[in-house]
Amino acid sequence: MKDKNTNDLEFRSILGDASDKNSNDKDYIVQSSTFRLIFSFINLYTLILIVLFFIVTGNLVEGVNNNFLESGFSYVLSARALLLLLLLISFNMSAYFNYGFKYVCLILLVYMINSAIDNAVLFSGFMHLTDRPYYSAFNVTRPLFIIALFWVFIIHRDKIQND
Amino acid sequence: MFEDIKLSKFFWFSMSIAYAFCFSALYTYATIPEYVLELNNTAQINITMKLTTVRLVIVAIALLTYPIILFRFFKYAKYFIVALTAWAVTVYIDDYFVLSEIIQYPERQLFSLVQSLRPILIASMFWMSIELVFRPLSLD
Repeated sequence: MKDKNTNDLEFRSILGDASDKNSNDKDYIVQSSTFRLIFSFINLYTLILIVLFFIVTGNLVEGVNNNFLESGFSYVLSARALLLLLLLISFNMSAYFNYGFKYVCLILLVYMINSAIDNAVLFSGFMHLTDRPYYSAFNVTRPLFIIALFWVFIIHRDKIQND
Repeated sequence: MFEDIKLSKFFWFSMSIAYAFCFSALYTYATIPEYVLELNNTAQINITMKLTTVRLVIVAIALLTYPIILFRFFKYAKYFIVALTAWAVTVYIDDYFVLSEIIQYPERQLFSLVQSLRPILIASMFWMSIELVFRPLSLD
């Protein structure tokens, strides 16, 4: 039953006080759906890439060029996969705690660009697209991953935005 | 111009160390004698020189770009230096732990000296990053 002594102005002031400032629900930052989508893509892509690294180094995929792994490439892939795994863990931790996300994202971005340059310079002579088609597919789509990382870096919100 | 961005003297000192190192690396690479490459004409050294060329081009671009970003777009200077520091650390880890079996630098005293001084470059860049990231924000 409505209390006749309480008017609309009082209701508005009560509801106004209980909204944004004193609400515990607003203490954490809600990222946009685009951010969450790209974040999931980055995680999925990286995990599949790490699995592929181990599949290629374990020679579990049929390949054309058998000399592919006999040039120190196997060791490089293993080390890269391990470093990438560590960076992915840091990436997820910084996103979860919302601390230093942009910096970790930047480090991952630099790492990926550097490894792409290294691969292009060092192994371009004997790493053809037909050697390991599954792995090559990921190498070819690496720019997409770099764009995704850059996008996440830009749209990440590290502070609560007031209305 | 220097008073506007209010950074410590240690920052400028670290920056001068980083610049000195990069210029010495460029000098070492630019003045490498022909006979050194001809004597050690192995596939490993050739591939290393190829990789070093690409890296030094990036270094040269960074050397030119950094002052512009620091003085004109100070807001983004911290991201730029963090990216460069991450790259320096990545390259160092790559050289000593990942690509150690693949690359080989030519035998020259100056090369060895520059290689051994790389941790100093990383330390100075690390300090620059810390100072730019954690410096207190000015009220204006």
